[in-house]
Amino acid sequence: MDGIHDLGGKQGHGPVPVTEGDAAFTHDWERRMWGLARAGLVKGMTVDWFRHGLERMVPADYLSFSYFQKWATNYLMMLVDSGELEFDEIAAGHTARRGAPAPARSLDETLAYQRGLCTDFSREIHAAPVHAVGDRVTTRSHTTAQHSRLPQYARGRTGTVIAHHGAHLLPDSGAGGVHEARHLYTVEFTARELWGEDADRRDTVTLELWESYFV
Amino acid sequence: MPTFDSDKAAEIHRHLHAHLPSDPALRVKALESLAVERGLVAAETIDAWVEAYAEHIGPKRGAQVVARSWLDPAFRARLLDNAAEAIKEFGFEGNATGHLKAVENTHTQHNLVVCTLCSCYPFSILGMSPAWYKSAAYRSRAVREPRKVLEEFGVQLAADVAIRVWDSTAELRYLVIPRRPAGTEDWTEDQLAAIVTRNSMIGTDRDLRAG
Repeated sequence: MDGIHDLGGKQGHGPVPVTEGDAAFTHDWERRMWGLARAGLVKGMTVDWFRHGLERMVPADYLSFSYFQKWATNYLMMLVDSGELEFDEIAAGHTARRGAPAPARSLDETLAYQRGLCTDFSREIHAAPVHAVGDRVTTRSHTTAQHSRLPQYARGRTGTVIAHHGAHLLPDSGAGGVHEARHLYTVEFTARELWGEDADRRDTVTLELWESYFV
Repeated sequence: MPTFDSDKAAEIHRHLHAHLPSDPALRVKALESLAVERGLVAAETIDAWVEAYAEHIGPKRGAQVVARSWLDPAFRARLLDNAAEAIKEFGFEGNATGHLKAVENTHTQHNLVVCTLCSCYPFSILGMSPAWYKSAAYRSRAVREPRKVLEEFGVQLAADVAIRVWDSTAELRYLVIPRRPAGTEDWTEDQLAAIVTRNSMIGTDRDLRAG
């Protein structure tokens, strides 16, 4: 979708907050949000549904909220969507619909569990890859209203395949809860192909793109 | 289970926008209280995650991997071939490193990592991402004017250096292998790891200094 999240190449955002933005956390609520997200609150969620949820935020909120403020809002959205929470419970900050307490996980258990989260998104599929390293490929010019990982700045552009990764789960489908894989490639574009003649002729940008993103 | 209904998601977001105070501390407090009451998570488990990322999982891990790649050519070859497997030698695998790729800086190439669509980051090897990495300024500009962005970080590139910007749009995550500085020839792995900065492993730092 052509959402507010698709920031690549947008102009006017000013200098990078190099020093004041160096810390990972500046408030305790950010630490709590990180811990909540890691613990896994939404049963049956896909990472694509999470990302698409962020993309469907009110655009003004997306731009003005900090990273973890967006996460908090998106988790509330996902829990309402799943039927776990009601709006009036969120407003009250409490619920009468108590569940059985979740088991507490220790630090050692958490560290061990964390190691298991190096998820493999690749899948075996029957279809042979259409492209190979060295091929020139052109991306689609248009997008749908659905989740996609083809940014606006790389649409309708021609680049060179520099790696093939086999088939990986397609985020466009994952955002809809459907698990299907397509061949995934790393494609390199010259900066001039993306940004025009003012761009530095030495520079390139690479993206991971699924086969369905090509014309 | 999620409904996976995109328009419903947007409708819920509009309701939250209109009816809930935006104060993030309040929103997170409500989220935590409700999640605990509903039995979705235990407060102690949240504490454990916070401690895991405060004390155990951070950029020192990536620095150790880089230092070993400078000392051990066989490890460097394994790292460049399949970083997701190579970091298991340290037990550093985990969140968002199932498809880790290591890319090396050379005399004539500099690597810079960004996620323009969200803020993807190899958490289990670099820890939490810095706030600037998640800023709209970095996400929008790193792909379009990487040289100006690098200047803001104090990085000046020699005239013959090309930049390759990696926009991580899938589940691949990137670890930049900076160049080993001169004057470190007889250093140990721990000494070397101490001079590898987090930013050098993202690409917003280039010339590491020996001491």
